[in-house]
Amino acid sequence: MSTETPGPNITSRPSGRAARERMYRYVLLLCAAASILVTVSIVVLLARDAITFFTLVNPVDFFTGTEFLISRNVYGLLPLLSGTLLVTVISAVIALPTGVAAAVYLSEYASDQMRSVLKPGLEILAGIPTVVYGIFALVYVTPFLQTIGLPVNTFNILSASIMVGIMIIPMVSSLSEDAMSSVPDSLRQAGYGMGATKFEVTTGVVVPAAASGIFSSFILALSRAIGETMIVVVAAGSRPRMLNLSDPLANLFQGYQPMTAAMVQINSADSVSQLGFTSLFAIGLTLFVITFLLNLLSNRIAARYREEYE
Amino acid sequence: MATREPETGWHGENSDVNHLRGRAFEATCLAATAFGLVSVLLLLLFVANDAFRPFSADAGWLATYAATVLVPLAALAVYYYRLDEPAGEVAYVTSGLPVVGLLLTGGFAVLFIELLSVLEWFALLISLVVAGGLIVAHGRLRPKAALERLAVVLLAPIITVFGLPPTRFNWFVTDAAAALGLDFGLYYRVISLREAIMMLPFVPTDWVMLLLTLVLPVAGAAGWFVEQRRESRRDGLAVVGLTAAVAVLGVVAGPLLGIGTDVWLLIVTFAVLPLGVYVEGVLRRGEGVRGLAFPVAAVLGVVVGSVVTGALGFAGPDPWLDWGFLTSATSRTAADAGIYPSMVGSVMMIIVIVLTTFPVGVGAAIYLEEYAPSQGLMGKFVTLIEINIGNLAGVPSVVYGLLGLALFIRVLQWPQGSVIVAGLAVGLLILPIVIISAQEAIRSVPDSFRQASYGMGATRWQTIRQVVLPEALPGILTGTILALGRAIGETAPLLMIGAAASVRLAPNSFFDVASMMPRQIFSWSSELDPSFRHGVLAAGVITLLAVLLVMNATAIVIRNRYQRTG
Repeated sequence: MSTETPGPNITSRPSGRAARERMYRYVLLLCAAASILVTVSIVVLLARDAITFFTLVNPVDFFTGTEFLISRNVYGLLPLLSGTLLVTVISAVIALPTGVAAAVYLSEYASDQMRSVLKPGLEILAGIPTVVYGIFALVYVTPFLQTIGLPVNTFNILSASIMVGIMIIPMVSSLSEDAMSSVPDSLRQAGYGMGATKFEVTTGVVVPAAASGIFSSFILALSRAIGETMIVVVAAGSRPRMLNLSDPLANLFQGYQPMTAAMVQINSADSVSQLGFTSLFAIGLTLFVITFLLNLLSNRIAARYREEYE
Repeated sequence: MATREPETGWHGENSDVNHLRGRAFEATCLAATAFGLVSVLLLLLFVANDAFRPFSADAGWLATYAATVLVPLAALAVYYYRLDEPAGEVAYVTSGLPVVGLLLTGGFAVLFIELLSVLEWFALLISLVVAGGLIVAHGRLRPKAALERLAVVLLAPIITVFGLPPTRFNWFVTDAAAALGLDFGLYYRVISLREAIMMLPFVPTDWVMLLLTLVLPVAGAAGWFVEQRRESRRDGLAVVGLTAAVAVLGVVAGPLLGIGTDVWLLIVTFAVLPLGVYVEGVLRRGEGVRGLAFPVAAVLGVVVGSVVTGALGFAGPDPWLDWGFLTSATSRTAADAGIYPSMVGSVMMIIVIVLTTFPVGVGAAIYLEEYAPSQGLMGKFVTLIEINIGNLAGVPSVVYGLLGLALFIRVLQWPQGSVIVAGLAVGLLILPIVIISAQEAIRSVPDSFRQASYGMGATRWQTIRQVVLPEALPGILTGTILALGRAIGETAPLLMIGAAASVRLAPNSFFDVASMMPRQIFSWSSELDPSFRHGVLAAGVITLLAVLLVMNATAIVIRNRYQRTG
């Protein structure tokens, strides 16, 4: 709060006090500026090695190459991107409708008692470590998929994506619920006044009115799915592979290696050339830029929407 | 125009289709809400089954414990839920407090066993107290010398804790002393007070030092709390006296129970003392006293159950998650594998995070909420910081790992996979979360409090320290505990900075290579042996989740208390 402190000469140690007040202010400012420092050091340090990499590997080759084989010094990002894309798409198919439906239920239908059970329950989903989700996928979901007759490999993109989807449900539902509950009640009353049923008000008034908030939660969730690491490291396999467009369904049952999993593998591999090691930073920088842009976009949309109703 | 009769209604009222559609929609939404919860619950049941293997026990064993523990506790829970809600909360807290206390005990035991000896702790604390005393004394003696005090504030802790490294300054002092005919032997470095204490020929025994430096301060804090609450100095002193008495009793009782005096002191400090204060408060208020039956019934049930199963000769289950698992190192054979060294690693990582991230995060939140201008160039900068913090919260954890690798290992050349690197990398990851939650807590302090403080002539910093922070503390604590829960489970940064896959020995310095719980669990997940994959792995997962559950429950309890009073 910007209330000015009272005049200096009230108490006994004016000069020392003013100096100290200034000192506290600057120390605290330093703390706040630390976040900028973190961002800058991420960009600078990642870029430093990524530039080394790009002087040796043509960026065009990197971003359009269809093969990623460190042992043969072939670095094409597309196989890793297709793994990431698959995880994102499948988990979005699971999480987005589920999350929005959950938000609708929590914001429009749930009694207070139901909400007091379900909301913390969903928060717990977000608090489970991702390595645990990965283990769920590998040890329990994949065998389950096999028993119900799907031809999945031990490492497959489907079970990993299912767990990523479940993991991001709370993110979609809580942000969408915020958006829905900040839709003014007058809009709902107007709907009821027109003779609409609760269902019609919910789907025809509340959800469209909260659309930008819901959309921003989608983008945030996608960014989370893109950056998710441990689930795919544990359960999605370690083979970079291009998307097979001729047989889309078969894609689901194979193992892929998303960008995050590739980073972990490169870093923990025993013998990696210097060039291979710097490719880690090129991939990391790409991942950082993608997620950063998505987060920024989501913030923009959410901010615009917030202005509309407050 | 006559208004319509209400019975005729409007066109859609009697149409079943609309209702059906609405109901179906509601049911679908409910199912969607439950989908994630139910599937994770099922998976958790599978893991728990793998970890505890309850069905490997005799049917008689299960039946006995069901009768002595499960049925009474379930009956009590239903009773509290239906008829006596305050008692339910008392039951919840009295069962939870000992668990949290034991967890803290474990954390401190790790600290004393693996990291510091009790003597080092004692010396460190005494040195810090002396440093604090110097600062206060300087403030009293020379209240106007602000710059001088800055030097004292910085130098006093450094000299008392670390001593002075070999510098020109030392030579200068030594030369000057030699010119006066004295010999301090300061050529290399000035020894710190901490080191001086550790070199003393006679030191008190461990338990005396623990009593002085840990039990009494904590008891003093509890006594102060009771004194404030009840406005009775006598009650506060009684708390301190009783705690000290029970603690001293441990000199005899600890070895008799086979837990040692030190562990007894820790248990008294972190489990018995808070539980005692809470139970006494419940009894005195007379609210929800029936809730105390719950922990009593639990303990009685376990005792009776073990007597009965022992007498009838029922064999218990053979769980993967047992005492041996918690106290031994990992191993190539599944039956011997344990999680202990990585638990120590996690505890030490948390210490690093608490010491580094927490002050910076809270400091940043204070600046953004209390100082930050909203106009001008500085205002733009502050907006940039705010947006940036929001975005940092969304940066993938693996990128933070990469940052840790690049910054701490490649630029600063710190040892790869060491506790300090892990703590700092994960600390940076949770920094935005700490800042955002602390900001929310500070924002919720009413502005009238600040105005009142300014009206009394307080400066901004005095207002923050004595009015805003105490009010916001529960909120900040809640947020921090949740963030620490997140930190314990993070794995990707640990992989990137090269935390050890499996270590046989627990780390005993912050620069040692260590493993942390999630890292250890991850390395078990790549074992193909089914007894690893379904047994050891499940036990590790349950251990990790149990720690998280306790932390989250603590945060929720703090939040609930705070919301009620605030």
